[in-house]
Amino acid sequence: MSARVAGVALAVCVALAGVSLLGQERPMQLDDTKVPKGRPAPRLANGKPDLSGYWKGTTQTKPGGNIGKDLPGWKLPLTPAGEAALKHNLTATVDPEAVCIIGGTPRHNASGLPFEVLQGNNKIVFMYWYSYFRLIPFTPGLKHSDDPDPSFFGEEIGRWEGDTLVIDSIGFKEEKVWIDENANPHSDAMHVVERWTRPDYNHIHVETLIEDAKFYTKPFTYSRTWALGEPDEQIQEYSCSENNVDAAHLGFGPGPIRADGTRGYDNPAPLPPPVPKK
Amino acid sequence: MKSHLALAAAITLAAGGHVAAHHSFAAEFDATKAIRVTGTLVKVEWTNPHTYFYVDVKDDKGEVVRWACESGAPGALSRRGFKRSLLKLGDTLIVDGYRAKNGANLMDARRVTLPDGQVMVGASAGDGGPQ
Repeated sequence: MSARVAGVALAVCVALAGVSLLGQERPMQLDDTKVPKGRPAPRLANGKPDLSGYWKGTTQTKPGGNIGKDLPGWKLPLTPAGEAALKHNLTATVDPEAVCIIGGTPRHNASGLPFEVLQGNNKIVFMYWYSYFRLIPFTPGLKHSDDPDPSFFGEEIGRWEGDTLVIDSIGFKEEKVWIDENANPHSDAMHVVERWTRPDYNHIHVETLIEDAKFYTKPFTYSRTWALGEPDEQIQEYSCSENNVDAAHLGFGPGPIRADGTRGYDNPAPLPPPVPKK
Repeated sequence: MKSHLALAAAITLAAGGHVAAHHSFAAEFDATKAIRVTGTLVKVEWTNPHTYFYVDVKDDKGEVVRWACESGAPGALSRRGFKRSLLKLGDTLIVDGYRAKNGANLMDARRVTLPDGQVMVGASAGDGGPQ
């Protein structure tokens, strides 16, 4: 693209969007076709890949927010109990995240928001927007409890298999949880296995296996790749319950789901025409 | 120029896509009810999870009706140049957006025109609302 074309494109973008360029909003997700590949992943002194970084989703992840992304027609294999739970979520619950409840696993992996990872020799922490975090130990020999306390991220145990960090989680809550942004359900019987890798310097990847015999007839998978943000980017302060005026105005469920599998209206009414320039 | 426009439109669309607000636009607002509210700014709440500003509007009978205008989180607005300091009490604002599904005098402030003509995007990033 020539500089002139790029300049015209930018100017028209601004005009179309009607946006002031007083400040440049950094994108929360990246076009992966423009992210360099091939530089090796960094390693810690112990030889393990370092997964640390500020990770952004890519525009290639479609449909965003939908845990059924990798299934034909995004159709989740719900049991009758799962169908009932989905109906309940759609007709009797507001989005738990909207009332400041932790999204949990695996919902945060389907979120469009960036996240940050800091890795040590025996633990790794995933930090999310909304001021949530999960701290996963991977000391050799760890085993799940016989009766773990239910939680939103579950009881998480890490282990290394070569250059792959495997996080095995059980012990989830069943109430006030959506497995994704579209209000799909999970039960307290869910078992999640995440396999995290850093295929190159600029990318982190997860392969996720989700088993939940109460709500799903068979296990299913969810995979995703994120791209590295800029070195000076990081999670910012976010106090979810500071002034949650909207909570009283929310309807049940996520509202309409578009034909492309994302939440929202397919044919919104246009806004009034922009105010003519003075 | 036509190709330049097409390119620009493509870039604009590519810049959108899924992010994730703390709730879906469609859970709170009706995308079939686009409205314009013109009124006097009387209150600003520069808070999480959303910024709110309130404008007093005279209705057809001359009575003042207060509208709550919901926008993105302060950090998101600030990063796109929509700073708290741009909202001055007493200013007349033109707010374009969508009305709450429950009929309250609450709107999603997707486009805000300031008195000097500056146009700010107030939408919550990635809420699935109209782009």
